[in-house]
Amino acid sequence: MTYLESKVQSVPTGARKILYANWAIVLLLTAVACVGFLMLYSVAGGDLSRWAEPQMKRFAVGMVAMLLIGLVPIWFWRSISPVAYLVALGLLVLVEIMGFVGMGAQRWIDLGFIRLQPSELMKITLVMILAAYYDWLPLNKVSRPFWIIPPLVMILLPTALVLKQPDLGTAILLIAGGGIVMFCAGVSWLYFLAVVGAGVGLIYTVFASRGTDWQLIKDYQFKRIDTFLDPSTDPLGSGYHITQAMIALGSGGWGGKGYMQGTQSRLNFLPEKHTDFIFTTLAEEFGFLGGISLLSLYGLVVLFCVLSAVQNKDRFGSLLTLGMGATLFLFFAVNMSMVMGLAPVVGVPLPLVSYGGSAMLVLLAAFGLVQSAHIHRPRSR
Amino acid sequence: MTRTPLRPLARILAARRAGENPDAIERANLAARHEADRDEQRQRAEGRLLVLGIVFLCAFFMVGMKMSVLAASDPAEPRALASGAQIVAARADITDRNGRILATNLTTHSLYAQPPQMIDPERSAHELAAIFPDLDADKLVKLFTGKRKFIWIKRRISPEQQQAVFDIGDPGLLFGPREMRLYPNGHLAAHILGGAGFGREGVTSAELIGVAGIERAMDETLSDPGRGDVPLRLSLDLTVQAAVERVLAGGMRLMNAKGAAAILMDAQNGEILAMASLPDFDPNDRPRPLVKGDPAESPLFNRAVQGVYELGSTFKVFAAAQAIEERLVSRSTWIDTKGPLTWGRHRIHDLYDHGPALTVEDVIVESSNIGTARIAMMIGPERQQDFLGRLGLFSPTQVELIEAPGAKPLLPKTWSEIHAMTISYGHGMSASPLHLATAYASLLNGGHEVKPTLLIQEAPVRGRQVVSENTSQQMREFLRQVVQRGTATLAEVPGYRVAGKTGTADKPKPQGGYYEDKVIATFAGVFPADDPRYVLVVTLDEPVETSGSEPRRTAGWTAVPVAAEVIRRAAPLLGLAPGVEPSAVEGVTLARN
Repeated sequence: MTYLESKVQSVPTGARKILYANWAIVLLLTAVACVGFLMLYSVAGGDLSRWAEPQMKRFAVGMVAMLLIGLVPIWFWRSISPVAYLVALGLLVLVEIMGFVGMGAQRWIDLGFIRLQPSELMKITLVMILAAYYDWLPLNKVSRPFWIIPPLVMILLPTALVLKQPDLGTAILLIAGGGIVMFCAGVSWLYFLAVVGAGVGLIYTVFASRGTDWQLIKDYQFKRIDTFLDPSTDPLGSGYHITQAMIALGSGGWGGKGYMQGTQSRLNFLPEKHTDFIFTTLAEEFGFLGGISLLSLYGLVVLFCVLSAVQNKDRFGSLLTLGMGATLFLFFAVNMSMVMGLAPVVGVPLPLVSYGGSAMLVLLAAFGLVQSAHIHRPRSR
Repeated sequence: MTRTPLRPLARILAARRAGENPDAIERANLAARHEADRDEQRQRAEGRLLVLGIVFLCAFFMVGMKMSVLAASDPAEPRALASGAQIVAARADITDRNGRILATNLTTHSLYAQPPQMIDPERSAHELAAIFPDLDADKLVKLFTGKRKFIWIKRRISPEQQQAVFDIGDPGLLFGPREMRLYPNGHLAAHILGGAGFGREGVTSAELIGVAGIERAMDETLSDPGRGDVPLRLSLDLTVQAAVERVLAGGMRLMNAKGAAAILMDAQNGEILAMASLPDFDPNDRPRPLVKGDPAESPLFNRAVQGVYELGSTFKVFAAAQAIEERLVSRSTWIDTKGPLTWGRHRIHDLYDHGPALTVEDVIVESSNIGTARIAMMIGPERQQDFLGRLGLFSPTQVELIEAPGAKPLLPKTWSEIHAMTISYGHGMSASPLHLATAYASLLNGGHEVKPTLLIQEAPVRGRQVVSENTSQQMREFLRQVVQRGTATLAEVPGYRVAGKTGTADKPKPQGGYYEDKVIATFAGVFPADDPRYVLVVTLDEPVETSGSEPRRTAGWTAVPVAAEVIRRAAPLLGLAPGVEPSAVEGVTLARN
């Protein structure tokens, strides 16, 4: 009998549960999604049916899914998390094989109504299984080296598969998201220091090897790094996106040019203008104020996740909520840094704003889990 | 941790006495312990959360700061607009050495609409759709009657189309000038010119910027408003360039090669008269760079400058020149060529047996690896490095192309004896064909260093001496012998006294080791041998010559005939008159008493 089950009686039951959902998060997510609709409408040049309408439909479906997931007790999700993780891992392997057989890089599986990217699914199931693992693991064992190994395997296995696709963005999100859950679970500082140290060492070694005969990565890969460090060295090659995005941001200024008045993004300079680079349109049309407002909306979602996690005395629910909040944070932080040239272009969408069904549904499902954890949190009678 | 017994006997007994259920006590105890666990965990978790919060906040701040920096940055309108809208970006023309246009500008216009000023949006939309068949009238009507105040219609339209749109007579349809870069010769000299594109683009003008090649490298100069109408004059000769490209393309097809490069350089001052790399592209319609695969396979790749290859036996002449220059040998010194030459784990072979010994001259003429390796051993690694460095083989070439600084020769990390030996016959280090041409020019023009350039040299240049006049002349005689009786006999072009050396190097596999059946075949030479004016390097990538009974890949059968054809065609265009070779003085013995 765990602590949680001893307190189960205090959890709301039946349809009343819906009243106990974390409505602040629901509202904030809706607000973010509305920004997305506005921008998709503008990017399509005032065409509703092109991107905005499908996006709205998917958001509605996702919202319903989120609440339904939220109504299912959190202990159910905890008990199925190993299965969910294994299924996601299996799907990742499956696309790898399918992609190999089909001689193309295929990242998704067609379910008829939606093309599911297993790597997206992996982002939440990884957080789930890590939270379940640390819920199960007695506290005094958290930092023992032996007990560090299983979560590391859980993180690195899917990361390796995703890297093979190759999808650098998702790999970074998986490692960072898993790392944050482990950090919050109380794993000793020293491990994180060691990992950061090793990472810095590795990067240093790679750069030191440049031009010698034991060079670790290919010349053109170095070139991509060069382009990241100085996009102007290759303005029409790989630096193209960044250069154009920064011009768009610059021309937006503080207040922006006004809704539907952006030229830079509408001139088709930016091939990914409705997906990964949609933030440039926002920054151009609504300027710094618009950009910082969207950033604050995301920030508030993360804040409410953290608050919910702090209130939650159930370790699984708490870690899960933190993990999902961190995943959202990583999404938008990586995307915005990428657009503004703070990070290399790795192909991470702006959550809920970028056009794309699979990412949105998965994110809303993740927040369904957050709702479930919130609704079913233990309360003192 | 001190454990309290789950059921303190006294409390159970007390509970029994009071008629309560003792299990309730157990439950209460368990809850209390969980609560204590919880508290301990909470304290730790709060510390962690604080750290995480700080990290998140830092990230927020960084993104926010960067956003404000970008917002505060100038809205980046094109440079030409700043100084008055009438001046459209004036980018200087590029011409060849005789003033023939290689790149110029063409004014076109972009078309945009401002619906609030439109008189009859419906009619304009339909007329526009009639002029531009790819536009959809209904969509235009929707756009023009919608809320938007500004709509781009076309980024580039021709003068005829502009006139037609003008005739619609709607004040809401407006034009923005668009200066366009035009390369009237199409594919000709594509890799040198590179290409240009729009940089910052505004409504009323767009900035032309160089994208690659000399357009990019000389971007500052070309877009300098103070330059006026003075074109940038290159050292290229358009006619010669065209001839070289045609011959090279034909040769590449005949020899079934997948790529080819040629450089024709003025041996005295390093001016590049023609430089070609195949496959090529049209700079007017520059293809997008390859996203995957090897960039070296892209038509955008300039094999002459960017491609670093092991250049094989063409390097042998460097070892011979240094040994003679440093008086370690004379041209008639006998060198042991018994094979194979074993050094540690390595064995050096010759293509075929040259007998027990050859003179230094014949080592070059017969192209003996073993003989050259022995000469390199006399020189030693340090002096060899020093000499090759002076020939410019260790650093990127300084030619005026944006791609040049990236093409660093590949050198072994440590330069041991075995490296010195293999490098002496052109294996174990890679350099670009342009490096080779430059080194040959410096070595054979009388021994003074040249720097490769694409700009016309107004004043004569004379670099420092690399080898003596005498050594240089001996080398030319050696190379002349190679053409007369050695491995490059097909290079003989009557009247032009060609001197040169072949090189056939196996291509390295990406995973290590060498391919059996893929080679880089190179011919490097100078002509006329008695009055060194021009250096020519021809390189073929994976050539196979199939006219014989079995496929032939060596440079003597592939690169050399192509090079001969280049010389046959280019020499008259260069104004070089065929001449008679001064016959060698024979049968006269200098005697001194």
